[in-house]
Amino acid sequence: MKLSAILLLGLALCLAAPSRIDTAKTFGNPAAPVTIVLFSDFQCPACGALHRSLMPSLMRDYVQSGKAYLVYKEFPLMMHAHAKEAATYAVASARVGKYEQVADALFQNQASWGVDGKVWETVASVLTPAEQKKVQMLVKDPGVLSEVAGDMQEGLEQNVNQTPTMVFIRGNRRYPIGGPNNYNLLRTLIDDLSK
Amino acid sequence: MTSPNKILRAVLLVLRLALGGVFVYAAWTKLRQPWVVFAFSIDAYHVLPEWAVTLVARTLPWVELMTGLLLLAGRWMRVSTVATSALLGLFFALMVRAYARGEAIDCGCFGPGEAISPLTLLRDGSLLGGSLLLLVSAYRKPRKPAPLATEDLAESSYRPA
Repeated sequence: MKLSAILLLGLALCLAAPSRIDTAKTFGNPAAPVTIVLFSDFQCPACGALHRSLMPSLMRDYVQSGKAYLVYKEFPLMMHAHAKEAATYAVASARVGKYEQVADALFQNQASWGVDGKVWETVASVLTPAEQKKVQMLVKDPGVLSEVAGDMQEGLEQNVNQTPTMVFIRGNRRYPIGGPNNYNLLRTLIDDLSK
Repeated sequence: MTSPNKILRAVLLVLRLALGGVFVYAAWTKLRQPWVVFAFSIDAYHVLPEWAVTLVARTLPWVELMTGLLLLAGRWMRVSTVATSALLGLFFALMVRAYARGEAIDCGCFGPGEAISPLTLLRDGSLLGGSLLLLVSAYRKPRKPAPLATEDLAESSYRPA
């Protein structure tokens, strides 16, 4: 009886546990009222546009001020030949504390590496020689590969059907927004959820 | 009543209830979440200025709910079928335009998370066809004359010729 109760409790805890979060790919206060999970593809032009135009304002107004917690998730689309490789390098770079810099470099130069496939050259440009060595080792690590696969699986479970998709979470309320590009609407939603 | 007439009436009844149900469901999926979530879907079509996006996001679900309920109740059929046909025609045109331009956006039909695809176009096209059939049937049916009130009759009898 006791054993079955413990097993049931364990199962309940497993089911209730939040999805796995790589803290090296998160920004802001984990206790913020609103969590934003961003499913993104480094080779997708709309993701690049979002990263350049809207993310700086979002980071300044909500993430750095502690009103929102931002979590990056990889969602490389099959139609983009080098997206999965880029996602794997980004996750590996997160393990040496360089996710933000690598993500910036990949988004800024997606037009070039997206065509010539020189993903590593773009990634390496923001890493020190020691970090480059570590990332080259980490990129073959099963843990890194499974993290990319896990992010994709999580996206599929949350009905992500395009990139970028932002999932806004407050308590048990979840609102997936595909291709958000209007900052005023984003502010309205976050402010509304924060109340 | 002839047999084909019976079949047609049954088809129209099923169509009316199905369309009414779809409109009520579509309204419910939008009203149960913050209006701004639907605003994102409207904004993605890039056809309205921001103030209009806000206005439509706040009002359209209520219009859908009202027309859906009218269809289910079978009241004001001319008005409700004109409204549903106009709405569905507009939605369908916008979706075809977005799909033809290769825009990978949510259709916004039943809340977020449903991208425009040949399947959504087929579904909306079928709903539009059904709505137009109901519209034609509503206008072909002769309107019942409104019964005169007793007071009107009494008043008219004193009126000079």
